[in-house]
Amino acid sequence: MQDKRGVVQFTSSKIEDLMFRTTLDLKSMEGDIIVNLSIADADDIVDVLEFLKLTSNSGLSVSPFLKVLESGDVIGDLTIPEGKVGIATMCSMTIDGVLLKSGIMTNPKFGGVVQIRNGLPVRFTDVLTYTSTTIDPLEVLMSQDITSVTRMLQTGSGKILANLREVHLAKRDEINSVLSGMMDIGINGILEVGDPNSRVLDVPVERDHLGVVVIGGTNPMAIMKEQGINIRTNAMSTLMDINSMDKIEDFF
Amino acid sequence: MTDPQIERKLIEIMRIINESDRPVGARIIADELRNRGYNLGERAVRYHLRILDERGFTEKHGYTGRSITSRGKEELEEALIGDRLDFVITRIEDLIYRTDYDPVKKQGNVIVNVSYVDKDDFEKTAGLMRSAVDYSISPRVGIFEEDSEDIFVPRGKVGIATVCSITFDGILLRHGIPVKPNFGGILSMENNEPVVFKDLISYRGTSIDPIKIFLMRHSTSVTGLLQSGSGTILANMRSIPQSAAGDAHLLFQQLHESDIGGLLAMDHESGNVLGAPVDIGMSGIVVSVGVNALAVVEEYGIDVNTRPVSTIMDYGTMKSL
Repeated sequence: MQDKRGVVQFTSSKIEDLMFRTTLDLKSMEGDIIVNLSIADADDIVDVLEFLKLTSNSGLSVSPFLKVLESGDVIGDLTIPEGKVGIATMCSMTIDGVLLKSGIMTNPKFGGVVQIRNGLPVRFTDVLTYTSTTIDPLEVLMSQDITSVTRMLQTGSGKILANLREVHLAKRDEINSVLSGMMDIGINGILEVGDPNSRVLDVPVERDHLGVVVIGGTNPMAIMKEQGINIRTNAMSTLMDINSMDKIEDFF
Repeated sequence: MTDPQIERKLIEIMRIINESDRPVGARIIADELRNRGYNLGERAVRYHLRILDERGFTEKHGYTGRSITSRGKEELEEALIGDRLDFVITRIEDLIYRTDYDPVKKQGNVIVNVSYVDKDDFEKTAGLMRSAVDYSISPRVGIFEEDSEDIFVPRGKVGIATVCSITFDGILLRHGIPVKPNFGGILSMENNEPVVFKDLISYRGTSIDPIKIFLMRHSTSVTGLLQSGSGTILANMRSIPQSAAGDAHLLFQQLHESDIGGLLAMDHESGNVLGAPVDIGMSGIVVSVGVNALAVVEEYGIDVNTRPVSTIMDYGTMKSL
């Protein structure tokens, strides 16, 4: 990412911009959310939707909301190419945007790989902080052959993508209430909420803060990649009106 | 999870055992722990070793000592992410201190990257590497066969050591210039000249080496650059105080006589160098990285496994391809 002067933009500032522009209201169910945009071959759309359903049912996606875009459709500054199909899914950073609109400032720290053993998250095994990279960390980690999301789905043990933000403990009760409000509308990608001043999934947090770990919105695409589907994901692409989106179960 | 303090001691013990090529006893471990700032007596070490045995991370060989198991090695790679967050830069710093190449006497150690290719692909690899020599640090390489005693080479492979760009940081430091590598990145080139960084990853705040990340993503197009003069290469950036820029220039000139080059830009006026941020009062130095020569090989479709910033090597033993 570069600005007009040709200076590169780090992910952390891109996130703050997107968080600010998130307007989803949990009560009225109106407003914009942050989406990841994936591009796949149009012929593969049936398989892609199957995998999205599978991951949604297994709790490996952030939310059931998605939008399928045909070739020629324009989203952000991108046009879906000929013979391709675009799939917009909710980005986990939407949660930070919603928290912000409720008056809770989160500090997104990093994206990483979380080891899951028998269905339970154990620890982060690799991480990349948002301030240190111009490419989305989860996009980076997806390409390093260190995830095993398919195995996790099949056996309950494996390595998946997730990210961590820190929140000041003064807002502890509000966080819980906003997070449960999100779960009510189907946003259930929260993996772990730590205690104040305690490690969360083996990662120390700043003093008087607690860590919140959310499943990466790109896990379904990581599975498709592991399964040999030709799919390319632009994480944190743009914003989209939630009412223009469908739910995965509408397709079946 | 047990107490992080105990966990850290367990990991340190495993690291010590892992660094040795033969089984290690409790006394040697206790001595080495003391070197590293952990005060643990021999008895306490034995206690910790029993925990490691129970977890299946180490195994006992009679009285000679313990060795690490494959599960233990896995654990070393996965545990204590909080400590490993700055692991990349810490490991690089260790190698920076061990670099002692003298540009005037033309002797000493340089830092190298080690790449492995199949034996059958070696001839083709060497040819491709020669073609991209202008975008690496030095035409000199070290070649290692399976039976090498210096570097572990897996069966059926050949190990190729290329001079790593972090060598510059080691040499600058030895000449009293404070330096830290800041970013690795993808640099776009036009008419064979560097234009701007497309993407950057900092050497801090990552548990994986930035250059390794870009290599795995196949994000270079050195082949395009060689054919048309336009493409993308891997490069990294460090900053030094502006007042040291003159000395640094001189060192780069001296190193040229040892066939060590790769300087792409040194800048301190605009607050950035080729798009990478530079603090006020500092000069940013951008250097192409040695593994560009291997990026070409990967672009060609040959399987390469590269470990950037791997170890140090006597530059005198390295030969032109």
